[in-house]
Amino acid sequence: MRDPNNQLHIIKNLKISVSNIVTQPPLPGAIRKHLSDVVSISQPAEGLVANVITAGDYDLNISDQSIKASVPWYSNWKDTLMELKESTLYSATTPWFESYRESFLQSMPASDHEFLNHYLACMLVASSSEPEPVEQFLKLSQEQHRIQHSSDYSYPKWFIPNTLKYYVLLHDVSAGDEQRADSLYEEMKQRYGTQGCYLLKINSRTSNRSSDEQIPDPWSQYLQKNSIQNQESYEDGPYTITSNKNADSSMLSLDGLDNEVKDGLPNNFKAHPLQLDQSSDPASNFDGADHIKSMLSIHETKKMNTGILHGACLTLTDHDRIRQFIQEFTFRGLLPHIEKTIRQLNDQLISRKGLSRSLFSATKKWFSGSKVPEKSINELKNTSGLLYPPEAPELQIRKMADLCFLVQHYDLAYSCYHTAKKDFLNDQAMLYAAGALEMAAVSAFLQPGAPRPYPAHYMDTAIQTYRDICKNMVLAERCVLLSAEILKSQSKYSEAAALLIRLTSEKKHALRCYCQAMQVYKGKGWSLAEDHINFTIGRQSFTLRQLDNAVSAFKHILINESKQPAAQQGAFLREYLYVYKNVSQLSPDGPLPQLPLPYINSLATRVFFGHDRRPAEGEKQAATHISLDQEYDSESSQQWRELEEQVVAVINKGIIPSNFHPTQYCLNSYTDNSRFPLAVVEEPITVEVAFRNPLKVPLLLTELSLLWKFQPKGSNSKDNEETKELVTCGHEMIGTEVISEFLINSEEIKVARLKLFPHHIGELHILGVVYNLGTIQSSVGLDGIGCIPGCHTGKHPSNIMSVRGRQDLEIQGPRLNNTKEEKTSIKYGPDRRLDPIITEEMPLLEVFFINFPTGLLCGEIRKAYVEFVNVSKCPLTGLKVVSKRPEFFTFGGNTEALTPLSPSASENCSAYKTVVADSTSGATALTSSASSVDFGLGSQPEVIHVPLPDSVLLPGASVQLPMWLRGPDEEGVHEINFLFYYESIKKQSNICHRVLRHTAVICTSRSLNVRATVCRSNTLEGEEGRGGNMLVFVDVENINTSEAGVKEFHIVQVSSNSKHWKLQKSVNLSENKDSKLASREKGKLCFKAVRCKNFEAAAQSSEKYTFVDIIFGNEQIISSASPCADFFFRSLSSELKKTHAQYNSLATEKQSSDDAVRLIKKCSEVDLNIVVLWKAYVVEDNKQLILEGQHHVILRTLGREAFSFSQKQEPPEMGLLKFTRPENTMVPTKPTVEQLSSLIKTSLQYPESFNHPFHQKSLCLVPVTLLLSNCSQTDVDVIIDLRHKATSPDALEVHGSFTWLGQTQYKLQLKSQEIYSLQLKACFVHAGVYNLGTPRVFAKLSDQVTLFETSQQSSMPALIIISNV
Amino acid sequence: MAVCIAVIAKENYPLYIRSIPAEHELKFHYTVHTSLDVVDEKVSAMGKALVDQRELYLGLLYPTEDYKVYGYVTNSKVKFVMVVDSSNTALRDNEIRSMFRKLHNSYTDVMCNPFYNPGDRIHSRAFDNMVTSMMVQGC
Repeated sequence: MRDPNNQLHIIKNLKISVSNIVTQPPLPGAIRKHLSDVVSISQPAEGLVANVITAGDYDLNISDQSIKASVPWYSNWKDTLMELKESTLYSATTPWFESYRESFLQSMPASDHEFLNHYLACMLVASSSEPEPVEQFLKLSQEQHRIQHSSDYSYPKWFIPNTLKYYVLLHDVSAGDEQRADSLYEEMKQRYGTQGCYLLKINSRTSNRSSDEQIPDPWSQYLQKNSIQNQESYEDGPYTITSNKNADSSMLSLDGLDNEVKDGLPNNFKAHPLQLDQSSDPASNFDGADHIKSMLSIHETKKMNTGILHGACLTLTDHDRIRQFIQEFTFRGLLPHIEKTIRQLNDQLISRKGLSRSLFSATKKWFSGSKVPEKSINELKNTSGLLYPPEAPELQIRKMADLCFLVQHYDLAYSCYHTAKKDFLNDQAMLYAAGALEMAAVSAFLQPGAPRPYPAHYMDTAIQTYRDICKNMVLAERCVLLSAEILKSQSKYSEAAALLIRLTSEKKHALRCYCQAMQVYKGKGWSLAEDHINFTIGRQSFTLRQLDNAVSAFKHILINESKQPAAQQGAFLREYLYVYKNVSQLSPDGPLPQLPLPYINSLATRVFFGHDRRPAEGEKQAATHISLDQEYDSESSQQWRELEEQVVAVINKGIIPSNFHPTQYCLNSYTDNSRFPLAVVEEPITVEVAFRNPLKVPLLLTELSLLWKFQPKGSNSKDNEETKELVTCGHEMIGTEVISEFLINSEEIKVARLKLFPHHIGELHILGVVYNLGTIQSSVGLDGIGCIPGCHTGKHPSNIMSVRGRQDLEIQGPRLNNTKEEKTSIKYGPDRRLDPIITEEMPLLEVFFINFPTGLLCGEIRKAYVEFVNVSKCPLTGLKVVSKRPEFFTFGGNTEALTPLSPSASENCSAYKTVVADSTSGATALTSSASSVDFGLGSQPEVIHVPLPDSVLLPGASVQLPMWLRGPDEEGVHEINFLFYYESIKKQSNICHRVLRHTAVICTSRSLNVRATVCRSNTLEGEEGRGGNMLVFVDVENINTSEAGVKEFHIVQVSSNSKHWKLQKSVNLSENKDSKLASREKGKLCFKAVRCKNFEAAAQSSEKYTFVDIIFGNEQIISSASPCADFFFRSLSSELKKTHAQYNSLATEKQSSDDAVRLIKKCSEVDLNIVVLWKAYVVEDNKQLILEGQHHVILRTLGREAFSFSQKQEPPEMGLLKFTRPENTMVPTKPTVEQLSSLIKTSLQYPESFNHPFHQKSLCLVPVTLLLSNCSQTDVDVIIDLRHKATSPDALEVHGSFTWLGQTQYKLQLKSQEIYSLQLKACFVHAGVYNLGTPRVFAKLSDQVTLFETSQQSSMPALIIISNV
Repeated sequence: MAVCIAVIAKENYPLYIRSIPAEHELKFHYTVHTSLDVVDEKVSAMGKALVDQRELYLGLLYPTEDYKVYGYVTNSKVKFVMVVDSSNTALRDNEIRSMFRKLHNSYTDVMCNPFYNPGDRIHSRAFDNMVTSMMVQGC
């Protein structure tokens, strides 16, 4: 081809675009739909996933905003990105974009300011089978002319007024008459010239498909599946058919790589950066052909059109013919036409140039204002500057440029564009200028050899003009796409990306970039940066109305342990609340959102069943029971559990039922929560939720309440359950307490107690808490963080912004570790503390203590009252108390009502039952008897039955019972646990009993210390000789140390109780009759005790104890009655328990020891118990008080000292641990010497002084009776040896020793309890004082082979005075 | 005197980061974080063979308008980054080098603490004081 300067110009790889004439411009909506279709088709099936480039460890998400989390490392990422850049993968990643780009460029509607896709030529096609093809041609030609030049049709734009017309006669080889066609063609040649017509012979009828199937569809590469043109032609089908013409416009594309001029041949789709595939649609041509052919059968045509296969009827020769035809058309018709046109335009321009250069431009400057109306006479002046009429001379240069561009004469095109641009700019025709700029840039880029650098700024200006001045986004987009491709081919990727980003909504991209940046920072410890990114994501999402994303982003800022300053946190929080509010406003009926703040430590959740504790009312002190205020203490809870087990065992006759579980009123993480807890209807359930505020700003929760689900008993249907869940305010089922305001200060841990009041029986599930989250607006400024506009607008007076939401309480149970499987895996058990079962009504007991002391002296007896109130609507029964310290208190014996029942009447009364005694009867003993059974002591002394009248407490009833307390013997603070046990009258399956706890705290101070010993009296008195008698020594010491207060103690009475012994009388050693003991004073009392023979028989059978009171005052305290005997028996039983435990530890030893030992032991045993009753005079607040008390001493062994209070044992020193097995030595246990020595009691009877006239008779004979009494229960062999011991040398020194006369050794056998008197004679030779205690007595059990022979009597001095008369 | 001193673990999370003007803390975090790319580039550019005898001090990483960023990488790939006010001309390369050396010594002391878990954030008072002294020094 030759250019205007007659220089040869080579066109490479020209493509021709042929399309049907469509008179209506495509609708913008249709275009948009088409484009979105194209994009969605190229989306892979899985959508987003395939569009994610995984670069290193990062997922770069290309198509969507979703964030892929990963743990990346930056440099890896960079490397992979570099690889990616070089790999082919890189270009293949976004198929949707490429197809979008193609379709977009194709669907560009032709516009007035440019001519690139205006039609250049028109092909008129007629079939040879028509009766008058020549007529037809004529008609078509006229039609074309009409379309181009009449004003009816504005749409198909034509390049120049005299469009090239090319006449094509289509001939079907198989069907038509070939001769006729040839002749017709000849006719046409004559009429239109050889260059203007063509005879195309193709096969269109017969479908010898079997052979043709191998031929690929020749059009497949050129046809677009859903091209708009197709659709249009489709709809306008009838019209096209009638008009029957084919306009074609040729557009170009070129591929610098291919030299051949191709059209029908498969064209390469190599990815050229600037592939303007606008021309790839010659198929429409043959659509037209099809139309012609299918005039006969429209349906067929349609089918063909929509069908997948085109041109199936064409044979290979037909392909060649078509190719030839196109070539012919191009070389003969089109190119010369273009050449001609260019030349014409060039001439015009040159002629105009003269004017414009010299005069026109000058006048333009002079009359620049007047020029505009001249140009646009009746055109609207729109934003893009003026509009030229279609044939305006200014446009000619542009036309020429376009033509040059089309025929790849880029050099010329560029210079033309450049001049056009200048002109347009001068005229302020911005749209035209932008178009020229754009094309100038493109042609500059396409210029081979690139003599000038690519003018990137042209593009930028063009884009800007399109967008800002012309407001033509479509053109701007086209321009950007072109520019981006050019930049891409120059490896200026970032610039290309910047362009594309600028084109689209920047916020969306910013958001996506932030999301991807998030991956870099996430979880790395760059907390400030992470927060900042999250904050930006949140805000961007919010402005893009992606509220969910916004919420979750803000959530991230808040829930991570933020290191931000308080003001910043406050701003974050407010923004979060604001966003959240918007979300919730969008869906007011949706489920409540889960709030992230404050934190809930769900493990610390505690549940309490029952009413709150009542405060003390005056003297009344309510039972402490259990409350949420108490910390959990595993030791004490174990104690309570043991107490409950004890009482349950007693109720069930000693067996704990297998389904017994201790009652739990307060559930926490330490309790066993594997079972569903039981709650009683109409009794509140309190849930303590532990909140933690991680932020440095206070959080305000309002209208805080529990969220629950309730399934009433009997309704098992699921739907019922569901409906109930929503009815959180269904007060008829479950009442819910609402805390109106709950403030959590910064970084504070605070618990909230929320109550539910169940009114129905069923299963309750506590799901979580629901509240309004808000904050208190602090006065701190926002510190550079601008709030979202509108954030401040809602400034209501309280300055509180809040959102409603919920948080679930999910408690993970303890880790299971029982089976092997559980040990090797991590499994957690259920935690049911929030799923109570509401059961039927149960009685509810409240206990009040009246006059309950807090401080006592050791051993002091105090009377208090207990009030039992049944506050439920059920009668209660079976009330019992269990305590580890039964010796501490008593409700009195069940014999009689002893004291006035009202506490006020007993104010000044003694706690004891007293009778006025005869003052003269001072030293005499008053006896009575009682048994321990009378005082409610069974086999389990810890479990005490409470003597309720009628043993039932009716609803609402209350009863007051007296209660005596005795200060524990140990000094110090005592915590005494009481467990009240009670049952309902109705038996229930779920709950058998209920319990109430009370912990009393008593502080005791030292009072008296009582020590007692007992020994055999040596005197054998006739009447009471049998069984023997003993002396009891009681030492009483006042050990009270408090200076103020206690002044003195008075011993008012000493009582004994025993099964075998009784005190007979007081042996007054001192004259201190009223036995006063001031501080630190010590008194000694001596009593004589005898066997009580009259009760002997009865006592042994019925366990009756004989009580003997010896009074020092004038009042007798009846020790066999309550409370004195109560406490005595209680302390006795606890003492027994202690010793029993000791015995048990020696059990083996005991068994191995034989009868002999036991017998021997037994004779040194006594069972005498001494009760010392005292009064203490105390001055308190200038008032003298009299306190009473009692101490117990239990005497068991002869000669051994016993204490009222077991001496504190020194903790055994830490011995070295020995790892040897103790040898099981079978040494026969021997009774101790001491024990053996008490087998036989001896006493000598002799005159104390004996007068003898030695001068008359030198030998003095004194009769001495040796009394031997057998203390044991068996026969005893006794040997009496009268010989002096010669062991001690001193004995020989004795000046005047005496001798026993007569037999020196006796062997005797004494029967059980037998008393034998042996008459001896002692012989003295001098007067003096002699010790007669020399006889040695040896004893052995007569039926025993082994002889435990021991001297029985450590000889007591038995002095006799022999005086000379 | 530095305006921001950071110790970055091998895996590029901060072990310690402190900056003086508190209001620009975020900016410094970003500065330090982006400087890690440069550190990485410099270290990887040296090649395997040279890594052993390379100098720990990396010199100026990049200058911004207001600040200069210096880097230092220990043999265990722990990075020290120091941001210095660019108006401060008194600080020469040698001073920066010695500051880094001091920082490294102090860091070693922290590591020697048997109660410190490698990888945890540094909460040592001694280290804190040392950093403070470097930040205040000469101010």
